[in-house]
Amino acid sequence: MSADPHTDTHGAAVDTHGHDSHGHDAHGNGCAPAGPKRPTTEELIARKAATRQEIEPGADLMTISIGPQHPSTHGVYRIVLDLDGEIIVDGRPEVGNLHRGIEKLCENRTYHQIVPLTDRLDYIASFAMNHGFCEAAEKLMGLEVPDRGRYIRTIAHELARLSNHILWLGIHVMDLGTQTFFCICFRDREYILDLWEMLCGARLTHSFARIGGVAKDLPDGFEYRCRKVMEFLPKRVAEYERIVKNNRIYYKRAKGVGVFTAEDCYAWRVTGPPLRSAGIARDLRKDEPYAAYGEVDFDVAVEYNADVYDRFLVRMKEIRESCKIILQCLDQMPDGDFISKDAGHVLPRKSEVMRQSGAMIQDFNQVFRGPQAPKGEVYRAIEVPKGEMGVYIRSEGGGKPARVRFTTPSFYHGQALPALAKGEMIADMVAIFASIDVVLGDCDR
Amino acid sequence: MGLKDVVKKAAFVDILRGMSVTGTYFVVDKVTVEYPKEKLQTYPRFRGIHALITDPDTQDAKCVACMLCPTICPSQCIHVVGEETPDGRSHAKEFDLDLARCIFCGLCEEVCPVAAIVMTRFYEGSTYDKRDFLLDKKALMANQVYAHKEVFVEKPEATGAAKEEGR
Repeated sequence: MSADPHTDTHGAAVDTHGHDSHGHDAHGNGCAPAGPKRPTTEELIARKAATRQEIEPGADLMTISIGPQHPSTHGVYRIVLDLDGEIIVDGRPEVGNLHRGIEKLCENRTYHQIVPLTDRLDYIASFAMNHGFCEAAEKLMGLEVPDRGRYIRTIAHELARLSNHILWLGIHVMDLGTQTFFCICFRDREYILDLWEMLCGARLTHSFARIGGVAKDLPDGFEYRCRKVMEFLPKRVAEYERIVKNNRIYYKRAKGVGVFTAEDCYAWRVTGPPLRSAGIARDLRKDEPYAAYGEVDFDVAVEYNADVYDRFLVRMKEIRESCKIILQCLDQMPDGDFISKDAGHVLPRKSEVMRQSGAMIQDFNQVFRGPQAPKGEVYRAIEVPKGEMGVYIRSEGGGKPARVRFTTPSFYHGQALPALAKGEMIADMVAIFASIDVVLGDCDR
Repeated sequence: MGLKDVVKKAAFVDILRGMSVTGTYFVVDKVTVEYPKEKLQTYPRFRGIHALITDPDTQDAKCVACMLCPTICPSQCIHVVGEETPDGRSHAKEFDLDLARCIFCGLCEEVCPVAAIVMTRFYEGSTYDKRDFLLDKKALMANQVYAHKEVFVEKPEATGAAKEEGR
């Protein structure tokens, strides 16, 4: 990726063209070598200062409210902006319009019952949320997930990431004024949703992970279809890039807009693709491997310009990496159980319940008492499509947690919007907000 | 900006490259399904509206009122009242399910020890009357015509690969 021509330009007025001949970087190899064209932090800060307009002190400010019923806020997010002309001086985000009290609901549900509730956090990539909760609960109970279960989880998690990024791309580019491209993205997302329907029966709210494994084994014919989809998706990504990447309208609206350096990201706890677009190769899949991520070969997508355009590039690379991960998991898929055999903590398999009395007793035990967790507290963070998601569980023994807390990326990304958009034009706020990928179900919980 | 770039910009090369992709979709096959006229088949695991399966021996629902499904339900939308029949069986006198509360997580189907409550392939549940969302035992048993075929198979594991040819 060192051949990217846009890295050799300084300032906001960058050249739209000149990278048509660099088609060979379409199959990005993830970690870019630290080439001489990579911008330093000082350059990024200077670039940020160059894009951001000077605000006159004592100017007459206008206050406007955007949202909660605004199509480009992707939900019920509201931001009150102070404007000097068209320049954003300050903003105050307001969240909580979609608050459903999921953390409170968790306190009087057993661990098995909480899994469907976590679907409703980030409903674009629900499996990632299921997975995060189950990883935390397994850490609390000291459960080992069987190999096959771990691989199925990895596949499922990457499917969630694919559908999230493809949907994000469609909506992000639609916010900048296209219509057809949105339909193209939705068509391709449909293939992923079909895989989901085949795998677990639901298209959006999957509830597929269970404490100790996954709900069901891979169905017959899944592998074949999944391979087909994973083989043509990279070609579709090349198509997306053909349409969007070099398009002068998209380029001018995205390049150099919303620069957020690594220091800013740390200060605002911004993680995931926005952080990786600032040159930090932090990815919990690589840093603290969970599920089967330690056993597959993939690269962390990194870009260095920290603007809206690079967040797009990072996500396109991640789609390619996800396809690679899924294909490797299918190749290496081990035989065996998809859910742990620990009778004290997991729901038994349906086929066993109908035949064996022991499994039936386990079924009743799990439903009425819940998985018996020891006293204690755990925190487990995983890399969900939008960033880092942490789950904190405090248990006082028994089948129900005493307190569950989700630290979801959208909340932190949403609060960072005023810092991201300060000094930018109001028309760019839409692009910036879309580029940090906020889902309000995830934000408000 | 070099001369090459100026020419490229003036000739709208970037726009034309994008248009070439969208242009090809004029000639390739459509993927759209005209929904009310044609419908997609669901996959065998699809979680649609619930049904209660009839026991062929007694012509009653298979349900034994073990209370697992109302207990596991995260949204508490199932209401079951059990009683003993004159011939000594345990069965559900009332079985109400509120679709307006249901979140279609499939846990009730998963924990049922006799495979009485299942989720069907039926998904067109919209209605003009809110009361239609409250399914009683009779309505749930009527829904079993939509059940996936595999629940009628004797052995739960003997689901054939042929069903995967759904679409």
